Amino acid sequence: MTAFFAKYKRIDWIMLVCMLMLAVTGVRFIQSAGGARASVALQELWTVHAWTAAAGLLAYLALASIDYRKLLKWCAIPFFGVSIAMLVAVLLFGSVRYGGRRWLWFFQPSEISKLAVIMLLAYVFGSRPENGEDGPQRRFGWRGALIGMAIFGVPAVLILAEPDLGTALVLVPTSFVMLLAARVWTTGLVSTLMAGLLAAGLLLGSVYVAERATVPEEKARIYRYVPLKDHQIKRLRVFLFPDTDIHGDGYNLRQARISIGSGSWWGKGFGEGLQKRLGYLPPAVSMNDFIFAVLAEESGFVGCVRLLLLFLGILIPGLRIAWTCEDDRGRLLAIGVCTLVFAHVYVNVAMSIGLMPITGLPLPFISAGRTFLIVVMAALGLVQSVAVHSNQTT
Amino acid sequence: MRVSPWFVIGLGCLYLFGFLVLGVSLYRLQTVKAGEFAEVETSQTTRRVSVPALRGRILDRSGRVLADCRPSRCIQCNLEELQQRGNWSNTVNAVDEAIDRVSVAIGIPRTISRDQIRRHLSQASAIPLMVWRDLDERTFARFAERADEFQGFDVSVRAERRYPYGTLAAHVLGYTGRVRPNADTGFPETGVRSPCFFEEMEICGRKGVEAFYNRYLAGFPGERFMRVDARGFRPRKSAGKGLADAPADDMAPVNGMDLELTLDIDIQAELERQLDGTTGAGVVLDPRDGAVLAMASAPTFNPNDCIPRLSSETYASLTNAPAKRGQNRAISEAYAPGSTFKPVTALAALETGWLPDDEYNCSGAYQLGEWKLRCWDYYGHGPINLRQAIEQSCNTFFCNLGSAIGTNAIIEAARAFGLGSKTGIDLYGETAGVVPDETWKLACYGEPWYPGDTCQMSIGQGMLLTTPLQMALVAAVIGNGGMRIKPYLHKMANGGNGQTSRPQNPSIPFAPENLAVVREGMRDVVMRGTGRKIAAGLPVTCGGKTGTAEIGRGEMRRKNTWVIAFAPYEHPTAAIAMIVERGESGGKTVAPRVNAVLSAIFGRKEPQTP
Repeated sequence: MTAFFAKYKRIDWIMLVCMLMLAVTGVRFIQSAGGARASVALQELWTVHAWTAAAGLLAYLALASIDYRKLLKWCAIPFFGVSIAMLVAVLLFGSVRYGGRRWLWFFQPSEISKLAVIMLLAYVFGSRPENGEDGPQRRFGWRGALIGMAIFGVPAVLILAEPDLGTALVLVPTSFVMLLAARVWTTGLVSTLMAGLLAAGLLLGSVYVAERATVPEEKARIYRYVPLKDHQIKRLRVFLFPDTDIHGDGYNLRQARISIGSGSWWGKGFGEGLQKRLGYLPPAVSMNDFIFAVLAEESGFVGCVRLLLLFLGILIPGLRIAWTCEDDRGRLLAIGVCTLVFAHVYVNVAMSIGLMPITGLPLPFISAGRTFLIVVMAALGLVQSVAVHSNQTT
Repeated sequence: MRVSPWFVIGLGCLYLFGFLVLGVSLYRLQTVKAGEFAEVETSQTTRRVSVPALRGRILDRSGRVLADCRPSRCIQCNLEELQQRGNWSNTVNAVDEAIDRVSVAIGIPRTISRDQIRRHLSQASAIPLMVWRDLDERTFARFAERADEFQGFDVSVRAERRYPYGTLAAHVLGYTGRVRPNADTGFPETGVRSPCFFEEMEICGRKGVEAFYNRYLAGFPGERFMRVDARGFRPRKSAGKGLADAPADDMAPVNGMDLELTLDIDIQAELERQLDGTTGAGVVLDPRDGAVLAMASAPTFNPNDCIPRLSSETYASLTNAPAKRGQNRAISEAYAPGSTFKPVTALAALETGWLPDDEYNCSGAYQLGEWKLRCWDYYGHGPINLRQAIEQSCNTFFCNLGSAIGTNAIIEAARAFGLGSKTGIDLYGETAGVVPDETWKLACYGEPWYPGDTCQMSIGQGMLLTTPLQMALVAAVIGNGGMRIKPYLHKMANGGNGQTSRPQNPSIPFAPENLAVVREGMRDVVMRGTGRKIAAGLPVTCGGKTGTAEIGRGEMRRKNTWVIAFAPYEHPTAAIAMIVERGESGGKTVAPRVNAVLSAIFGRKEPQTP
């Protein structure tokens, strides 16, 4: 028993405290955003978030106490299999909300698959601990790269079918960072990455050229070669020309920017955001994808910086754990989880202020969403497990 | 180890760089451009709303209230309480049904259409919709008892115009209407303020002094700032405190000023009583300065019927011929003045050298070529001089006089009295009348000027047209010794100080001795001539002239009967002109009425002890 509690002495306290503060921040701003809603269920949603965070904390502590090596060994593959099965199930039986078939009963399998992908990648590409630190190490060439691509590609395709482009895309940087860390076919991966960036640039450029075209026929001609759906083109257009359609497609972004900008240094005070209260910041998105705008309006630049510092308080210790960890699976796990969190934070904040096209990614801990909250907390629990167990012999 | 520690460090740098980018962008947005965004936020969440000013009262010369504002009870619908999700038409339906429910429950017929609801919702959803205006006390009480049952409905009280004396001085006062947003734009009349997003319906004068002094009476509407939510509604009460009003500088309305008129309602009431039942008009002036003591037109109307809005039936009754109740005949109808014009002809003659003692033999008719003008006295007046001719109103004498002195002399004299041009009274809708001349006739009729026209004009008939106000001015100017005056209704008009006499230059170019002859002639009229009934029983002497203008031919032949008079004879304080259409004669029809009005001013002579 004492041994069990002795384990918790080795967890990273800064990371835990920052995580708890973020969860509390999330509860508060879901309460604030819900205050502007007419429905009692939405006004009380913050309690759900709080209970979910409590459950997430239990998962966190439980996973921190389990040796990640055993966990990866015994669970990585079955867990991945189950998550793929759920992704298939959601396409067959899921319920449709907000224009996507994403919910299976009360949770989103796509969120769970994020963790499953990270775990499997860490399991597959980390050197086997039993081989020892100096043991023979397998090299992963292009075959390894193919395996890696399959590991995140299969769930990504299933998620794309829901459709949920944002979640599918967030798997890409996470997996790439892990594969690069594991030195899997580096030249090929870097070239692929470059090619991907180039393709993204080309798409954006062609949308830009098409929108600037004065002749409608020319616009249509360019779009014939752009492999994007209408709503995706719309989002790129809003990103490129945020001030053109401020009462239509560009409304959300503009109102988010007004909310954030008018927050100024200190914000308008908790629960006092005028944009939110009067419904200018669309209530449908103010609790999840655009909750950063509520936070920025009510707590100002100071609150935003505090939020970013809290996230750094998770990410930097997470990397420190990776640094001190002495086996590759632990390192890869920590790197993968940190990159997942970073990608979510960066994309969500950047899209709220117009630095990136709008994608529906939640802000970890803050956005309302039960599955993702539990998944992120469980993932960080795994990172703590790395901190607790990495330098211990089994 | 496959995973290099340097990779971890590089990743850490990437995270820091990413967060730095976010931090710098946020800094730009939230501090550098914060003011810009705050401005956008304010402009999209606040609306400027006008606050109507209370309209000033209208008083008579001794301060009695002729027009003021009364509280009017209304039921309004706060649309934000009834708004529905989704399509706008859902909200329109909800409001529509709610109004029906209230209508049935309280038993008030609906006055607002679905279309009006839709328009209000799309244009001004943030301000309450007036569902019922100006309810009577009992209905209002029925609603107030059960107001809690009707979600979204509320009572409100607004100011509505009232004319306590009803028809009294209706034509002078006029009436008010609501500012029509497009036709009136609200602004030339109400001030120079830039238009608000939501303009409360304002009251503006439509006729009479209400219209002429609208700017004076209307005051200056204030403005306040209110919040609106993203759908354009006022925030619901449940949305929290401090949302309803925006923290900006409100501007209180400046209420309108009271308008003191020169009217004396006792004289006005008597004048209207005398005109009651006839078609005609009358004006009483103070000849010393032109203050209008009374001005009436018959048939009349009740301006309260035009409040709160002019219904099409009321409008029809105001404008439809022949009654034209809304028309102020005292200023906007021009009549042939008939014999009341003869003093003007007489003055013109005296000025051109006709001597007061020159005689003319009236044989009962005046022959001009083949055309023959009959005097009203079939047997003729025999040889008479000018003074006697005024006294007897001898047509043949004046016909001859006119022919002798020529058209131009008469025209000149008429214009010197201000005939043929507007008097400049502070009312809209005044007509100038007509003093015809050769060019005018050629332009209007395409005929040259015949000697008969001169003859007709010298006895105030033919093409000559004057308003009752102009004839009252003729009486006033003759009475006050040739001082030209401008009639006015507002005590402070023309920069005046409200005192009865204002310095005026005697600007009528007539010799005093000539004027004296005409004045004597007019005194003779009331002493022993055609207008004896004018002065009967009055404690003061006066001067006057009757007139009976025959117009039309055959079936349409009729007589408009006139009297002009001034009193007291020596230093007149009242001048009057009155016309009754389709009367018998000036002396019989109008003179007694004028006598009654003068009695109201000067009282009656003590009955003499036998």
